[in-house]
Parts: sequence; structure tokens; C-alpha cells
Amino acid sequence: MKPSVPERECREAERFVREEGDHEVPPPVVELEQVSKTYGDVTALAGAGLVVRRGEMLAIVGPSGSGKSTMLNIMGTLDRPSAGKVRIDGHAIDALSDRQLAALRARTIGFVFQAFHLAAGVPALDAVADGLLYSGVPRAERRRLAERALRRVGLGGRLHNEPHQLSGGEKQRVAIARAVLGDPSPSASSRGGPKLLLADEPTGALDSRSGEVVMDLLHELHRAGTTVVVITHDRDIAASLPREVRIKDGRIEHDSGIAGSDNGRAAPRAFAAEHSAAVVERVGR
Amino acid sequence: MLRTGGSGLRSRPMRVFLSALGIAIGIAAMIGVVGISTSSQEELDRKMAALGTNLLTAAPGQSFSGSAAHLPDEAVDMVGAVEGVESVSAIGKTAAKVYRNDHVPKEATGGIGVFAARTDLPGTVGVDVVDGRWLNAATSRYPAVVLGARAAEQLGVHASGPETQVWLGDRWFTVVGLLAPNELAPELDSAALVGWPAAKEELDFDGFATTVYARADEPSVNDVQEVLGATANPENPNEVNVSRPSDALAAKQATDDALSGLLLGLGAVALLVGGVGVANTMVISVLERRAEIGLRRSLGATRGQIRTQFLCESLLLSALGGLGGVALGIAVTAGYAGYQGWPTVVPLWAMAGGVGATLVIGGLAGFYPAVRAARLPPTEALAAA
Repeated sequence: MKPSVPERECREAERFVREEGDHEVPPPVVELEQVSKTYGDVTALAGAGLVVRRGEMLAIVGPSGSGKSTMLNIMGTLDRPSAGKVRIDGHAIDALSDRQLAALRARTIGFVFQAFHLAAGVPALDAVADGLLYSGVPRAERRRLAERALRRVGLGGRLHNEPHQLSGGEKQRVAIARAVLGDPSPSASSRGGPKLLLADEPTGALDSRSGEVVMDLLHELHRAGTTVVVITHDRDIAASLPREVRIKDGRIEHDSGIAGSDNGRAAPRAFAAEHSAAVVERVGR
Repeated sequence: MLRTGGSGLRSRPMRVFLSALGIAIGIAAMIGVVGISTSSQEELDRKMAALGTNLLTAAPGQSFSGSAAHLPDEAVDMVGAVEGVESVSAIGKTAAKVYRNDHVPKEATGGIGVFAARTDLPGTVGVDVVDGRWLNAATSRYPAVVLGARAAEQLGVHASGPETQVWLGDRWFTVVGLLAPNELAPELDSAALVGWPAAKEELDFDGFATTVYARADEPSVNDVQEVLGATANPENPNEVNVSRPSDALAAKQATDDALSGLLLGLGAVALLVGGVGVANTMVISVLERRAEIGLRRSLGATRGQIRTQFLCESLLLSALGGLGGVALGIAVTAGYAGYQGWPTVVPLWAMAGGVGATLVIGGLAGFYPAVRAARLPPTEALAAA
């Protein structure tokens, strides 16, 4: 994969130049604008704003009940906000039907869950192949891509193992392989693959050693061009990622902005501010 | 989609087996009932084809005064002259009784009647002689007797021959032949048949026929049946009972059909219960598999795809039960028919109907759970895990 990165960046550069004209920033993948979510009397999100650009890697960190899981669900189009605007990969999700949302999830978004969500008795290869079950990819092709994805996460020797034969870390790597199945290398770009990987406490059920392996894997995916959003309550993990968004009581409390030399240009001033109004202004343009 | 539906079943084989079993029992019961009654019908049809449905009988009924009527002397010849009658024969009841030997008390007749029989009886009725021979012109004049199957059994006679004798009408008669059981003329089974002349000479037989058998050619059976009474006794046609023995066999079959209907209803109830079982399994399955539903939604499954998956699963489940039930029903039919010595016949429409019914039931049973699965919000489904 690695040799492909420069090529990819070239391609992307061309693309955002085309799309954004003179702005030298990658296009946004996630745009949340004054997003609120209430469940009955409980407010999970209260006017949160966030922009995630293509190729970013960030942590959303906060204590339990802070609304970070709700935010992830909304970013993943699994839930619709009570108020506010959400755009994923340029699509305003309130304008999309269930079918279109499902297609968006199938094509653009990959999920990794704390509880892995691997079905008992299903071999790793088939579990991963299911990642493209709803993308209209033929079964043989799905299995071929699944094998490649499993090799990519270092589980080439575990293709036919069932979940109970895998360790927690291995299970999570299978789940990641499923989420990034067909993830773009330039040659496979027609498949799309998830441009956006949403990981909800990916290390929450793992010991620290397995957790490190999983985080390394996420970093590697990021380096290969995938947009990675990690939800965590672990401040150490959050601090190890290029960008850290702290959330509390349904509001963005702190946003470190985009770090890293090559991505630095993509960090708009607004992200560093706590004022969601600034985000609104930024997104509104 | 089928593969996805099937994978849900594969992971819970025991539950699948049990809920499919409910359906299978219902279908098997229905297939079995239909199969057994069809097989017995087939058996009857074959028997009819062998025996022929063209045998008619005429017997004296009662006169207006209530006394027993009798057919005139020339009845047999008159019937034989009717157009369409191929052959005719007759038996006449005598007052004599038959015993195994002369020590048996008079009242122990065993229900065996002694009849005078014409020599052409076997040809007309179609009864077979299993041992010895039928009465001929010579033996008809001598004290010789042919025993029906049940009569022979009751008299303890297992073989005919010059030394086999029975005590008949206060003298010894030699058993010259034994008859096979006959379904069309069951009255012959418990009869001791002697020659017409011998009966008149030895047994004070009055010479009146009590049953006239007529074999008509197939197309004119109904015509012959209509005129038979008037022909046998032109003076008092209403004193003649005309019947067609094959009708009696068919009527017996019809009473069996009523029982079959009842059993079929029972099978339908079993099927319904099986359907409820499938619905129950699917509802529980949806509850248990919320995480899977959530995951599939997150992988990009639409509501429609989730609905289809669970509907597919339900259909597969009941189709499994349906096919198992058809197989079981065929096995039951084959077993019972084999035991009865019948041919095994399971009509194709019953098998197709059975499988079709299970698919309808699977669709109905799976519809509500599938809709429920599809309506489940993905976040709630994932949170449940």
C-alpha cells in the first residue's frame, strides 16, 4: 500500500483544487452544523459543530454521557439529529431517503465497534466479505477483497477461523478489515471503500497490548489515506492522535485543530475555537 | 439473499429443527391422510377392474302381504334373454343345514347356508375355485358340495377330496371343491353349494332361485339394471331387489372419505400450530439478533434488505418443514399401504399443495417479525448488544 500514498495524494490534490478552487484544503467528509439531539428530556448533543476533512485522523474524547457516541451515530448516519445540519461526503443527510442513506453507509462509511459485532460461527473471511454485502459486489469478488483486507491487517493466516478461535485483538482487526474492505488503493478506487472509518471505543474491550496493535493499525490506515474518527474516553489514546476533539455535555469543549506538517494547511482557524458560531460561519460559506 | 437468510438458520440448528418439525408434522399428517385414502382408492379401483363392475343381482324381496316372495321358475332364462346380458346364473336357498359331522348339535349351524347352485355360477360371478373343482353336470346330481371360503374354515375343511365329507341335510356329502373369498358376492363365502338336481332330490329344494346373477356388457349395465326387476318377475317387479355389488364397495369407500376429511382437518390444525411456532421463532430471533440487524444496517443494508432477509429466513424455515413433512407423509403412506398390501399413491397435487401451504404460512409468520426487524432503529439495535 505504501508506495501508493504519494500517488493518492497527487490525485486528491488535483481533486480539491478542482472542487475548492483556490482553497488548498481537502474537501470535508463530515460537516456538523449546530447539531442537537434530544431523547425525550435528555439532551445528548447541544449544538455541536465539527468539520472533518478527508484524510484526517482525530479522536473524539469525553466522559461517558458526554454525547460522543450520539455524535458518532449521527456522523455514521445511523441516527438523525433533532436539529442542525449534517453533511456526509457532501450529502445533506436530511434530504436522503433510507435507501440513499444505506447506500452512503455501504459506500462511504465503515464502522468499528467496541463489541466487535462478529457473528458466532462465521469464519473471518466471510465476516469481512459481508462488509460489501450491500454494495452489489459479486460474492467471489467480495471474498477476494476480504482476503486482501485480512492480509492487510496481518491476519492472513486466520482466514477461516471463527470468532471463538480468535483473541480480542484479532477480532477487532477482523472488524477493522470488514470496515475498510476495498479501501482505496488507487487500483481499487472504483470500489470506493470507506472514505470515513468511525471507530467507537475500538480498544475498549482489549488489553493494552492488543489495544496498541489495533491503534497502530488505525494509524497505518490513516497514513494510507483513510479518514479515521476514533471515539474514546481514554485521554492517552486521544492525545496520541493528530487531532483531538473534547466533548462534554453535548458541546465541543476543545478542538486541537489539525496537527501535522502535511495536513497543517487544512486546519481552519475556526476549528481551534470553542465557538461553534465560527464553525457555522465557516461551513456556511 | 438466500445465502444470508440461510446463515441465520445454520447458526441455530436445534431451534430450526424443532420449529420446522411443527410444520413437518402438520404437512405429514395431511399428506398421509390424502396418500392413504388415495392408495386405498387405488386399491379399490384395481380390485374393481379385476372383479368387474358389471355384475348385477336380482333377489326376491317381500310381497305386499309381507310374506317372502319368490322369483318365478323361468326368471333365470328370462334374464338371460335380456339384451346386453352376457351370462346369467343363480343360486337357490334350501332349508338344509350343514355340519362337520353327525354328532354336532342341530342348532350349531355356524351361519352357513346351503344353496343349490347352477353349474355356470363361477363363470358369471367370477369366483375362483382354490381346491378341487366346481360342480359339473355329473356331480350336480350326486351328494357333492363346494364350500365357500368362510364356510370351509368354519367346518374345518382345508382340502377337498373323496374322503372329505360333511353332514348335510341328514346325510353325508362329499366336498369336491373350495372357493376363494369373493368381494362382489360375499354371500357365497359362507355358503355350501350343491348341485341344482341334487338339492331337489335330496334336500326338498323348491327349485326357486333366491339370487340371480347377471353379467352385463359394460355399456349396457345401467339399462340392464333398470329392466332386471321386471324381467325376473314380470308379474310383481316391485318384489325384486336389484343391486349392483360394486356400488356397495364404492359406498364403503365413501364412508372412509368422511373420516379422511376429519383427519385432514386435524392435519390443518397441526399445520397452523406449526406456523405459529415459526412466527414465534422468528420473533425471538429478531429480538436476539438486534446487534446483527444493527451491524447490517451499519454495513449499508436498507430497511427493505433487512425485511427481505428475515422473510427469506422464515420462508426457508417453513419450506424446510414442508419438504420434511412431505417426505414424512410419503413414508407414512408407504408404510401403511405396504402393511395393507395396497399400492402406494401420493397425488402430486397433495405434495405441491403441502409445500405451497408451508410457503404461505412461512410468509405470513415471517411478515410481522421481518417488519419489526426492519423498523428497528440501527442505533438502538447496536446499543442492545
